[in-house]
Amino acid sequence: MMLSSILVLLVTNPAAMLSEMLSASTDALELCIELCAVYCVWLGIIELVDASGLGEKLAKLLRPLVKRVFKVEDETTQKLIAMNISANMLGLGNAATPMGIKAMQALDDGSGKANFAMIMLIVVNATSIQLLPTTIIGLRQNAGSANPSDIILPTLIVTFCTTVMGIILVKVISKFAKKIKLKRKI
Amino acid sequence: MSVYILPIIFVVLFLYCIYKRINTYDVFVKGAKGAIKLVVDIFPYIAAILIAVALLRVSGITNFLAQLLSPIFNALGIPTELVELVLLRPFTGSGSYGILENIFSSYGADSYISRCACVIMGCSETIFYVATVYISQTKVKKLLYAIPVALVCSLVGTILACLICKVM
Repeated sequence: MMLSSILVLLVTNPAAMLSEMLSASTDALELCIELCAVYCVWLGIIELVDASGLGEKLAKLLRPLVKRVFKVEDETTQKLIAMNISANMLGLGNAATPMGIKAMQALDDGSGKANFAMIMLIVVNATSIQLLPTTIIGLRQNAGSANPSDIILPTLIVTFCTTVMGIILVKVISKFAKKIKLKRKI
Repeated sequence: MSVYILPIIFVVLFLYCIYKRINTYDVFVKGAKGAIKLVVDIFPYIAAILIAVALLRVSGITNFLAQLLSPIFNALGIPTELVELVLLRPFTGSGSYGILENIFSSYGADSYISRCACVIMGCSETIFYVATVYISQTKVKKLLYAIPVALVCSLVGTILACLICKVM
């Protein structure tokens, strides 16, 4: 990506290259300082959620749902998936990742192909329901928004719709895939 | 109404922590400490993506792509200003925060474009990154239909986001 744009720049505007790169990395530094402030607040809050046992409670609440959607019987796997989803709900992608990796390992059947529950986990993660888009609200606050949290409700509605749609799609496609397999065997 | 959501959540959380006899100060500080490390970890990625995006922009490639794709996106109700974000979002999480920041400074944090961008960020994920990292510790080589389904859902989410921001 960088190479091709530099090649184009060689023809169009070679003088602009370095100054653009430097100003972009300055922007990145500024953004990181802002992000650091945002993360300080939210990671502090999240630590409280965790220490008070609310995170665990949320995960427990989600477990029956996980059992139905993912069709996983093993309890530790259910718990891992529930924790992964609840971390995602709180807008904590970084905290969700280790749980997701562990859940994937638990789901792996060694066949080399992703099974139903693994695909479901990826799709649910990709459309992740967000209760609190924490980082986004923080950045928006810093950008001078009058009411940075007014995006919570629209975000909730949209991610709810896409998550439900994702779950349904995976279920439908997996059913079709099974039918095709059965036909081939016959 | 949504002004009250966060304060209420925080009050409930703190009250619950006091009820549970948790030393809120110490726990908060412990969590906040993690922020520095996290930012140091993601800085190089943000820098790389922002540099790449800046180069793409100044070389005119972005503009070209946006013009090429904007009829399709516009037909779906996605404003041209958001094309860059929508295209890069599946690949980079930290980078898309950079683009979001650009959108805030170009159009104002409370504009329709910015609000759309926020909702899009909230309802989508760095699909390729997540998929790669999640299966990295397993034997899985084929993800079958996982990525296409995830991408379709993100696209529908984007369209919905642009619609809903018009009303709400």
